[in-house]
Amino acid sequence: MESISSECTPLKEEYEKCFNKWYSEKFLKGDKEDACKELFIKYRKCISSTLESTGLSKTINNARPHIGSGFTEENK
Amino acid sequence: MKFFETSYSFNSSWDATTLACWRKYPNDKTPHVKHVEILSRELDPTTGILKTERLIIVSQNVPRIITKMVGAQEQAYVLEYSEVDPSSKTLTLRSTNLTMKNFLAVTEHITYTPLESDPEKTIFKQNAVLSADGMMSRFATLIEDYSLKVFKANAIVGKLGFEQVLERILSEQRAQVPL
Repeated sequence: MESISSECTPLKEEYEKCFNKWYSEKFLKGDKEDACKELFIKYRKCISSTLESTGLSKTINNARPHIGSGFTEENK
Repeated sequence: MKFFETSYSFNSSWDATTLACWRKYPNDKTPHVKHVEILSRELDPTTGILKTERLIIVSQNVPRIITKMVGAQEQAYVLEYSEVDPSSKTLTLRSTNLTMKNFLAVTEHITYTPLESDPEKTIFKQNAVLSADGMMSRFATLIEDYSLKVFKANAIVGKLGFEQVLERILSEQRAQVPL
């Protein structure tokens, strides 16, 4: 699926491909090491400026406790 | 305030069904879902639980009168937080809308667990609360009724899209198993 920043779509696809394979073949079998972390960081960095331009970061922070998320700005 | 609740079982293992959650979009049944971005993801090394936060961007399909009342917005944003516990085989997803919140707040809670008597089946449970508390009461009921209708319609197409993706996963897996 296209990323909100179209230039990040290849990075997103590369990461998701890695994740889906890791999820089925490693994670569900008990592996506790995230093998796709590097690709995630690259993809996440790519979309960060577009995400910021939505102006939603405060709203996201406020919404987090309502859905049980312990994530913060720092550990994205 | 309006409530929505549903549950059903999929004829597929929990492993395959939860993979379909990650691969659900795009599918041709839910063209209103434009983008799904992964905001955060973390694997807890002690518990083995995978935590994910996603931002879902949906094109609005609300009547003109409503967009005029609340200020037109082309896209709606939804925040979703999920936890996958592979040892207890539980996937929990919670989500809430980020846009038009003063107008209508929707929170949704979904779980996927294996059917105890048959691990080749997966139980899906969904419930949602819709509330237009910020609105004057006579509008609130109207908005909630309308939104519940939209929510139900989206739940139906969402399930169709999900099943399409799940079927693709199952046929890939069948192809991998030597006969």
